[in-house]
Amino acid sequence: MVTSAQSQVAETPNVRWEQRKRKLLPYGYLSPTLILLAALTIVPIVTVFLYSLVDNVIVNPNPPEFVGLDNYEEVLTHRKFRGALSNTIYFSLVSVVAHFFIGLSFALMLNSRLLGANVKAVFRVIYILPWVFTASIIAILWRLLLNPHGVVNFVLLELGLVEELQEFLSDRRLALNAVTFINIWSGYPFYLVSFLAGLQGIPDDLYEAGRVDGGNAWQLFLNITLPQLKPIIISLALLDFIWTIHQFTLIWMTTGGGPMRSTEVLSTYTYKAAFSSHEYSIASTIAMVILGICTFVAIFYVRSQRMVDE
Amino acid sequence: MIGSRRQILARKILLWIALILGACFAALPVLWMVSSSFKSNLKIFAYPPALIDESFSFDAYLAVLGDPGQLRFFFNSYLVAILVTICTVVTSIMAGYAFSRYDFRFKKILNLVIIGVQSVPPITLMIPYFGLIVWLGIYNSYAALVLTYMVFTLSYAIIMMTGYFNTLPRDLDEAVMIDGGGSFVTLWRILVPISLPGIVAVGVYTFMLAWNEFLFALTLTRTNDMRTVPIGIHLLMGQHSFEWNQMLALSVLGSLPVLILFLLFQRYFIAGMSAGSIKG
Amino acid sequence: MKKYVGLLLIVLLLATGVSMAQDVVLEFQQWWEPELPEGSFRAILDDFEAANPGIKVETISGPYLTTKDQIIASAATGTMADVVGLDGAWVNVLWKQGALHSLSQAMADADYDDSELAAQIQLAGETYMIPIANFIYPVFVNLDLLEAAGIDPPTTRAEFAAAAMALTDPDNNVYGWAQPLSLEQPNGIQNDTMSWLWASGGSMLDDMGQPHLAGNEALAETLEFLKGLHDAGVVAPGAFSMKENEKVEEFVNGRVAMIINTLAHFTLIRERNPDLNFDITALPAAEGYDGPRGLPYASWGIGISSNTEHKAEAWKLIDFLTSVDGNSKLTSIANAFPGNVNATPDFIQTDPLFMTAFEIFQEGFLANEFTGLPAAEELMRQFDEPFQFYLEGEMELDEFLEIAQEEWEDIFS
Repeated sequence: MVTSAQSQVAETPNVRWEQRKRKLLPYGYLSPTLILLAALTIVPIVTVFLYSLVDNVIVNPNPPEFVGLDNYEEVLTHRKFRGALSNTIYFSLVSVVAHFFIGLSFALMLNSRLLGANVKAVFRVIYILPWVFTASIIAILWRLLLNPHGVVNFVLLELGLVEELQEFLSDRRLALNAVTFINIWSGYPFYLVSFLAGLQGIPDDLYEAGRVDGGNAWQLFLNITLPQLKPIIISLALLDFIWTIHQFTLIWMTTGGGPMRSTEVLSTYTYKAAFSSHEYSIASTIAMVILGICTFVAIFYVRSQRMVDE
Repeated sequence: MIGSRRQILARKILLWIALILGACFAALPVLWMVSSSFKSNLKIFAYPPALIDESFSFDAYLAVLGDPGQLRFFFNSYLVAILVTICTVVTSIMAGYAFSRYDFRFKKILNLVIIGVQSVPPITLMIPYFGLIVWLGIYNSYAALVLTYMVFTLSYAIIMMTGYFNTLPRDLDEAVMIDGGGSFVTLWRILVPISLPGIVAVGVYTFMLAWNEFLFALTLTRTNDMRTVPIGIHLLMGQHSFEWNQMLALSVLGSLPVLILFLLFQRYFIAGMSAGSIKG
Repeated sequence: MKKYVGLLLIVLLLATGVSMAQDVVLEFQQWWEPELPEGSFRAILDDFEAANPGIKVETISGPYLTTKDQIIASAATGTMADVVGLDGAWVNVLWKQGALHSLSQAMADADYDDSELAAQIQLAGETYMIPIANFIYPVFVNLDLLEAAGIDPPTTRAEFAAAAMALTDPDNNVYGWAQPLSLEQPNGIQNDTMSWLWASGGSMLDDMGQPHLAGNEALAETLEFLKGLHDAGVVAPGAFSMKENEKVEEFVNGRVAMIINTLAHFTLIRERNPDLNFDITALPAAEGYDGPRGLPYASWGIGISSNTEHKAEAWKLIDFLTSVDGNSKLTSIANAFPGNVNATPDFIQTDPLFMTAFEIFQEGFLANEFTGLPAAEELMRQFDEPFQFYLEGEMELDEFLEIAQEEWEDIFS
């Protein structure tokens, strides 16, 4: 009431003030975020960028030497980099798609009206189980499970599904799929929880209208649920893609990038460059390449956001 | 979903089958973790494996719980995770509101920046970031961990909150504005209560990340009185051998309170709580 | 009343001020404390503090696997601890980073007589690391399995191969040998691969200390021998992702009859499986070799940060830990061989298995060519990768050694 009373007696400067306030307001709301990110990320990211342009950093006694884009040329033309890149793309794409399907299916099941509230509560907790463990424990657990003398092999042998012990993590034909599977298992709850939240935001009357128009369950899903979830789906897929590219602990502690580089991804490759061969410039260069890839994908996201806004 | 009783029954059966299959996928590996945490370190590697064998004991749990150092890790993990969750939720609600309800000049760029800071692999950032934290004088403090995790969690939190606010009709807050409520009032009195499912999703995600993070928790702390559960787990991974059952027991113990918290909060995911009445 | 309180406060302040002025606090970063029985490491440091009033030691303990990364990061940001635990595989990189203080200098400053030190790790002619506890890697054999097959512990490669053959029984999940080749922890290249070469007096370096892989006859023979074991199916499955700790668990469970393994595992194996009847023996040598056997080993080494303001006090701590008394105590709780030639850990007199080990130790010589090499872990990894291709039969021996040679030269230059 106060504001409307004020606006009735508003004079020109006040209106201008209101306009300016409206312009500045979003920055005010964003200020905690921006201050934090500026304070804590600008310096490290710029440092990493500068590292990528020089030679001899951190563990080298010689003074840094500006080499321009030489590091980039070295990284991008390296045979091992290309292998790691293609493994990363496979690992990330399969993970993101599987996360999406599993997360959405579970969320839809848990949202069904055919189940009682308590049943849902129990299954919700069961379904987020993979999420409550730190990555190194997940790696260790799956190493136990997939060990040649582990329980997975035992069950498969007993059921007659395989004829001999499988070396899931040390057979180059199986290892990449095995680590991808582990990543799928450990990552889908993030989608599940986001979709559960997203599904609550879809108004019931949309479904009622759809039903009046004679749509069956599948049509309702295609025409209402999916489009309504679209902003969330795009955001999740983008972030998940970025995180999967960065997924390090899981792969490192299960296969270390092996056997025979079959699970070497950009994150393990970067780690080795930084902490094994101690070439921080090269590691920083790979980091910048990854930043480039992610930014490229993020531009699509920002565009889609704008469409949603309009 | 109007159908005959038989159709509904068939649907129910199918749904239950799918639910149980899904539960097997999610929970069997965890069941194995729990079962192994009760075994001796010898029997964890026994072949053929058994779910429960004669080595069943609570020794690993007693060893973990009898160690005051481990309890301190739990306390730290909770404190840090709760602080991060509160700060991230509040910050991201404000940022999401700005992105969702206002048009401003640098909107697209800022959006990109918020995603961009996530795109540099944390491993490469570690050394310069560590230097910055030391320079800021918050090395080996809760503040270092809380602020660091906020940097990680804010991207998702903001994107999720923006997306969530975007699904809410604008006339809702405009009505309030016309009634004389300021934007601040609109946000906290109207949008936030309706958005609880989204906020809970953000909170759960933030909590999990802060709870599970290892690399920065280790790098940014120096003494055991500041360290968190994942470091406690790693301390059981020796140079030559692991204390498998204690590591697993510690993980199981760490997960229980998290699951209980989730059980309390998951009621906000109940269908139709926010939709319908308010939006209609 | 107020007066007294005020006076008391002043006295208290003075007291703390004085004690703060007196006490030097040394930070000691290492991974040993969590490896040792609870409180036992602290007890040794308490002894040191008692003997050196005015010096306090504060331990900064972390998991072994991340200790190196953490020390490098702290050295880069100027927060490195005063005294650090070192591994032979990473001393070189820290030295290169300028993070380590020359111990030769510290010894000279303290007028220290180094004749009691069993070894010093030198780079560019100066000592930067002193090994204070050594863990040798003999062959552990499962006596029950050997007796059932009616064979004695092997002493030559041919005997080893024959024994591994006889012991392998895939239907019962028993294999003759295990070779961990995980790329995450590639120390299997050091302990379970190159050790064969060193045991027969071979070397992976030339006289100038440069890589000598391609065209190295002794190495080629060793690798062909190992491939023979893999081809014969006597190596436990999962080798390409197996880690040291899993190798031990396989042995403890009786699924692998023979492993090359650290003495640090004695207590562990006995705790895990008290029924396991095992013995140790020296690493088999190539046919016709009768020189002393090289023994692979790992050390807990110690060094001083180049940034510390308390170099003299830091040296006192090292002096204590390498002294007869301090070193005996530390190696007794760690089940390690001492870094002081006159120190005698108590287990050597009391435990028959350790007595055997000590004999092996005295008859052979410590051989770990990776100690002090640049990026030693990366060398192992760069060897491991093509080695896996070779074992899988996808690469010829010559090609594999050429590739490894090239990678190594790259790292050395």
